[in-house]
Amino acid sequence: MSTATDLGAGGPARLRVGWARGGAHPIARLIAVRLALGVVTLWAVTVVIFLATQALPGNAAYAVLGHSATPQRLQALEAQLHLNRSLVSQYGSWIGGVVHGNFGTSLANGEKVSTLIGPRIVNSAALVIAAGVIGTLIAGILGLIAAARRDSWFDHVTSVVLLAITALPEFVVAIALVILFSVVVLHALPATSTIPPGSHPWNNVKALILPVATLAIVIAPYIFRMVRGAMIEALESDYVEMAKLKGLTRWRVMLVHALPNSLPPIIQVVGLNLLYLAGGIVVVEYVFNYPGIGAALVDAVDNRDIPMIQFIVLILAAFYVLVNIVTDVIALMATPRRRVAR
Amino acid sequence: MTLITRRRLLENAAKGGLVVGAGGLIAACGGSSSSKRSAATTSQASSGTPKHGGTLRAGLTGGSSSDTADPNTIVNNTDYARAALLYEGLVWTNSQAQQYNRLAEEMTPNKDATVWTIRLREGVTFHNGKDVTADDLIFSINRVINPKSPGEAANALSGIKAAGIKKLDERTITVPFAKPYSTLPESLANNITVYVLPVGFDPKNPIGTGPFKMAQFTPGQQTVLERFENYWNAPLPYLDRIIMTDYSDETSQVNALLSGQVDVVNLLSQDTIGTVTGSGKHVVISDGGGWNPFTMRVDQPPFNDVRVRQAFRLAVDREAMLKTVFGGHGTLGNDIFAIWAPEYDHSIPQRQYDPEQAKSLLKAAGQENLATTLVTSDIAQGVINMAQVYASQAQAAGINAKLREVTVTDFYGPNYLKWTFAQDYWYYSPYFPQVNQATLPGAPFNETHFDNPRYISLYNQALATLDVGMRQEIAHEMQMIDYNEGGYIIPFFPAVIDGYTTNVNGIVQSKTGSSFNNWDFEHVWLS
Repeated sequence: MSTATDLGAGGPARLRVGWARGGAHPIARLIAVRLALGVVTLWAVTVVIFLATQALPGNAAYAVLGHSATPQRLQALEAQLHLNRSLVSQYGSWIGGVVHGNFGTSLANGEKVSTLIGPRIVNSAALVIAAGVIGTLIAGILGLIAAARRDSWFDHVTSVVLLAITALPEFVVAIALVILFSVVVLHALPATSTIPPGSHPWNNVKALILPVATLAIVIAPYIFRMVRGAMIEALESDYVEMAKLKGLTRWRVMLVHALPNSLPPIIQVVGLNLLYLAGGIVVVEYVFNYPGIGAALVDAVDNRDIPMIQFIVLILAAFYVLVNIVTDVIALMATPRRRVAR
Repeated sequence: MTLITRRRLLENAAKGGLVVGAGGLIAACGGSSSSKRSAATTSQASSGTPKHGGTLRAGLTGGSSSDTADPNTIVNNTDYARAALLYEGLVWTNSQAQQYNRLAEEMTPNKDATVWTIRLREGVTFHNGKDVTADDLIFSINRVINPKSPGEAANALSGIKAAGIKKLDERTITVPFAKPYSTLPESLANNITVYVLPVGFDPKNPIGTGPFKMAQFTPGQQTVLERFENYWNAPLPYLDRIIMTDYSDETSQVNALLSGQVDVVNLLSQDTIGTVTGSGKHVVISDGGGWNPFTMRVDQPPFNDVRVRQAFRLAVDREAMLKTVFGGHGTLGNDIFAIWAPEYDHSIPQRQYDPEQAKSLLKAAGQENLATTLVTSDIAQGVINMAQVYASQAQAAGINAKLREVTVTDFYGPNYLKWTFAQDYWYYSPYFPQVNQATLPGAPFNETHFDNPRYISLYNQALATLDVGMRQEIAHEMQMIDYNEGGYIIPFFPAVIDGYTTNVNGIVQSKTGSSFNNWDFEHVWLS
């Protein structure tokens, strides 16, 4: 991801021009441009995914019928699913529907894609947000303490432990947590996190604990290292020296003077980890049997359910685009010298 | 290539005087030997008086977003489960693999077996309260054979003269066939059947006569079924409710069982037996009649030479394979299907592992050191392991079988039923219905492309024979052809392993080759 460098190099220059011409506020303009580019990106994604799904052997009729695919049943189902049409016509009618907000119907069961995926988006979003917030808070606090007490035993232990965790893939963390808390050592938490249809994640908090913990543990080391590093850099600067000489308390120096200046890189790394979570949920949802979009994507690929694959990938791509824009904007606003046109 | 079995390892350890080591090994093997005890106690676990009530939570694998409650579009395990609980056929198969009348009171053929008279049981009602009548049965048959959306049983009814079906009275119909069809009842006695549905059946409102009715259904996630109060076979069922939750794999399924989130899980591998029994839960290990064959296309080289096929059958050490893949749970196979059928010929000698004989057959066929590709996929429990073991065992016969593992979707893609050398899985079916599905030209799943004139004429002769004894003789002759010339390698009939918690009763061992005695949850009760 090169958003940080974009900002550093081209960003301010573009902004300055926009401001000078008397256009909209530079940040508004940035958002508008990035959103427009995002739409183009999403369109490109739909084309690539559509072509990629065509490269898979078989089609939805084969995939759905599986073991019991007889020529008669295949023919009947292919006709029913309109799989005999040309590629261009299939894509054309799909994209035509999308423009009108109709994402098509699932080839696997004939239901509307948006109806099927809606609750799953909520489930996955709950997972990503909870893990993102908890992971960021815990890692951030640990990072602040480690920076404040640099080279203490606390700093060394947390740094080494978190470094070790970066070497563990999600499923190892997940299985370790299941063994510890639900199956072998303790029987305190459910080993799988099935959210019954019609129910919401926030009504099943106990079921969320292990998957959220897994994801939080996986992203924590990166955020910790960034917070610690950025804070140490800030704490060594002249203005912090000045603040200390003024006799301010240590925590006031940390939180009011050093932290705001360390924010831009931290925001970038938090954004990156949110994006990582959007991919990481696929594995975690599988391990915990959690009904989110990651599990739905695996299922859709197995079923060659093209409208479903298109919709889920589109959602994920849109999430990427949005998180990138939002982190850039926040980082920009946290950098006073860059948000004012000179 | 030598496979190290547990016994050999222990022997060698003992010979070497490694007494302590062997003791440790015995302790380590405790998990699997205790599992056998646990399987034995299973039948006793159902003692006590059954009582009504409670919710059974089942964790099942095999589901997907394409799951259905329409008995005409059944594909995977969870579909079979739903259908078996919501609907009922005319005949069904019990835990001993014997067929019995379910919704049929009587099925009687005319003298030449071209017309069947079917009378329905009295006093059966659908979930919506409507009585089951002859019209419903006619509707259900026509729905299965509808060419626009044929059911799986369409082929079992291929000779039917639909226009000639007659209603004799409110419960009786006659069904004419173009050719004699003496095996009609047994052809409809398993999962591939005509489920009796009400006229105008709508899959979105899945009404049947089964012991449970649909309460909520989310494909690929969850199915909730509720007790059908007016079930004809009172006092069954015992359970008030069944919640079937889909699980993506065995690990999460077993974890859910161990952490108490579900009460029963299906289709376990032998590796998890110890884990399940070790934490105080039960397993039921059934000698199922299902089978996982290797399929050789008899119309393509090198398998168009019968000597090559026989060599490939001699190149498998069935006992060692069963031990390695299913921990010895199951029944050895003799390359003939339908092991629990009354007409199965148990007198044919068991084919043994004979790599030398295989070698000389290959030499005679001019195919020494034959290299071939075995297409495998995770289509059923143990299938990939079987392929690995086969490749290793067959080396001794000079066969170099290269494994090609493909995804399940690829396996059942356009090449399905066309692979030269691959695998498959089947549930139990009696002999003649199985022939009708698998080993006749025009059979829907003739993956070996078997086409033997003598075999076909014997089959047709059997269909025209109402004398069960004579049919058995014909079956035996056909089985000799299977044994000597067929394209299947059937090393064994694997065990079906299901797990359940201690308060679940009424779970029985079953020969149906399908989980929980083919989804017989109407006899299950909670204590």
